[in-house]
Amino acid sequence: MPEAAAPKPGAAREATLNATLGGRGAGGAPLGVLRERARIAYDAQELPRWRRSGFWQTSFEDLDLDSLEPRSHAPDPTLPAILTGQRSAGVLVQRDASVVHVELDPELAARGVILCSLEAAANEHGELFERYYMRRLLLDRHKLEAASAAFWSGGAFLYVPPGLQIAEPFQIVYEISAAGSAQYAHTLAIGDRGCELRLREYDLASGEIAGDALHAGQFELYLEDGARCRLAQLTDWGEGAVSDASTAVVEVGRDAYCHWLPALLGGRLIRHHDELVVAGQGGDMAFRGLFFSQGQEHLDVFAVDLHETGPSGGDVHWRGAATGSSQASFEGLIQINPGAQQTHTYLQFHSMMLSDTAKLDAIPSVLVSADDVSASHGGTVGALDESLIFYMQTRGLTRPQAVRVIVDGFFEPLIIQLDDPPLEQQIRERIGAKLTAAAEDIERYALAR
Amino acid sequence: MPSQLEIRNLHVRTEEREILRGVDLVVRHGELHALMGPNGSGKSTLANTVMGHPDYEVTDGEILFDGENITELAAHERAKLGLFLAFQYPVAIPGVSVANFLRLAINAQREEPIKVKEFGAQLRHAVELLDVEDAFTSRHLNDGFSGGEKKRAEVLQMAMLRPQIAVLDETDSGLDIDALRTVAEGVQKLHDDQHLGVLIITHYQRILDYVRPEFVHIMLDGRIVMNGGNELVERLEKEGYDRIREEVAARA
Repeated sequence: MPEAAAPKPGAAREATLNATLGGRGAGGAPLGVLRERARIAYDAQELPRWRRSGFWQTSFEDLDLDSLEPRSHAPDPTLPAILTGQRSAGVLVQRDASVVHVELDPELAARGVILCSLEAAANEHGELFERYYMRRLLLDRHKLEAASAAFWSGGAFLYVPPGLQIAEPFQIVYEISAAGSAQYAHTLAIGDRGCELRLREYDLASGEIAGDALHAGQFELYLEDGARCRLAQLTDWGEGAVSDASTAVVEVGRDAYCHWLPALLGGRLIRHHDELVVAGQGGDMAFRGLFFSQGQEHLDVFAVDLHETGPSGGDVHWRGAATGSSQASFEGLIQINPGAQQTHTYLQFHSMMLSDTAKLDAIPSVLVSADDVSASHGGTVGALDESLIFYMQTRGLTRPQAVRVIVDGFFEPLIIQLDDPPLEQQIRERIGAKLTAAAEDIERYALAR
Repeated sequence: MPSQLEIRNLHVRTEEREILRGVDLVVRHGELHALMGPNGSGKSTLANTVMGHPDYEVTDGEILFDGENITELAAHERAKLGLFLAFQYPVAIPGVSVANFLRLAINAQREEPIKVKEFGAQLRHAVELLDVEDAFTSRHLNDGFSGGEKKRAEVLQMAMLRPQIAVLDETDSGLDIDALRTVAEGVQKLHDDQHLGVLIITHYQRILDYVRPEFVHIMLDGRIVMNGGNELVERLEKEGYDRIREEVAARA
């Protein structure tokens, strides 16, 4: 009797990864049908837990969903503090469950730009909405994804018509204002052929959230042929008890380009699935990301660089630092589908440990199904280098100042590429504040080594 | 009273062994000293200990600055008093430009941050002194620098931070002749113009072709065994460390 063929090494892992990818998306049906489908999935599933190789898990099982609910707010003409003094092409603010503020440069509106709540877009721009809504997003991989797809309210919709080049950024803010809030967020953005835009999304808590709150977000951006976008997302839920399970997909069309940087700077429990799909020939992208975890935070990032066709380019570069007793995991996946010939892509992840009780894992994966491609990955694991600290001390810097310089320098290669000084400054300041808060931890770690 | 660095009967050990075995040395503001010695004699240990490197343990003796005992002070506190160390192997600080680092370092020693204009003027002056291109100050400090660029960056920092007393640890090592001349002339000029007190630590007399020390000390096996003027440099060049070692042994 012939022996059973041994399973291909890594086959199980490959299957797991494939099952998590968005692929075609759930869209193409009326909104009501999609919501109902999501609601059924929501009812059928338990709260999610992601496990990896036995040494890592991210669990939302302790979340008490019954204690959380969407909260409504009246419109609010004042801008959130994070946007004061900034120039914008347009602004949309969602507080908890309600869009409370929308403004769009009238000149841009006259030229066909649309910025409105997603609810409004479903009613007023049905054709665009149906063509793009959930083209790449799924609604049933886990209970919180299903909840977001079933229950989202407010939401953001942005459409930039063909050929339009806009220098100022569009800014979308999701704000959680109080404990007990369940925010089901959904952003749909479209850059039509040959347009150029900047988009920033802020996910922030207004003040410290003393009690559980949830952000379950879905984000989708479609860049049609030749469109170019610089996308940045800054997430900082502060030191309160905010949990965040979100999915984001960016689709890059033929000869289109996206520079995407999520900055994950705080939240008690975060699971982000960020997926960049190069779907058209000549599509190219720079997928950047950074995170800083502290205290008891738990952060789980799954970043995907998916190439469906070639030639195409990819460049994934993430950096993360961990202090306190926080746990952070970065999983990066390059996937090159059959037919994506002449794709060249590289994934790198660099980490810096700032405490002996923190945990920081990196898991790169490469799945290649085409033969004329180059795909590779690299990374470094670092801690504070005492020789650097002494060097700076001899120049008069105190130890905390020297640590700040090292950590700033660690993130700077990504921050500087944003080419967006106000946002760069916001990220630097937040990292600085976190270092100040963690100064004692960092000092203890240094002395222990 | 002009600033002075005074080292008294300094004994230093690392985890492995005792390295300095009773060093006495005084460097005053405005004086230029050279400390010479073969590899392993303890020169770099002295430089690092003066600056407060945590890996070196002072087991006996003391270091005074302007009469204050600084043996237990942290490195940044010594820097604020006016001490400076130019490193033998300067480390790279990725992501931080030379100019930004200098601004941080200068501001660390002041109450009010330095004015942009004042900083710019000082930086231009230092850039000319060290004969580097303007673009040099936008590069990340020591990141990918050649040996010569690193040493220029050390002296550039020294020019900007305006210490009272600077220790240069083998600043001449690994330099080609042009870089050596620029760096050495920069040091000499800071000494002449700002009355910088300098302790040049070196293995070779090469750098002493371009700077003129008033005091020369020779270190062997963790002790300063000979003090003199420039004539010691010439003697070393002719006779080498072995003759001096023999002479010291005979004296003991």
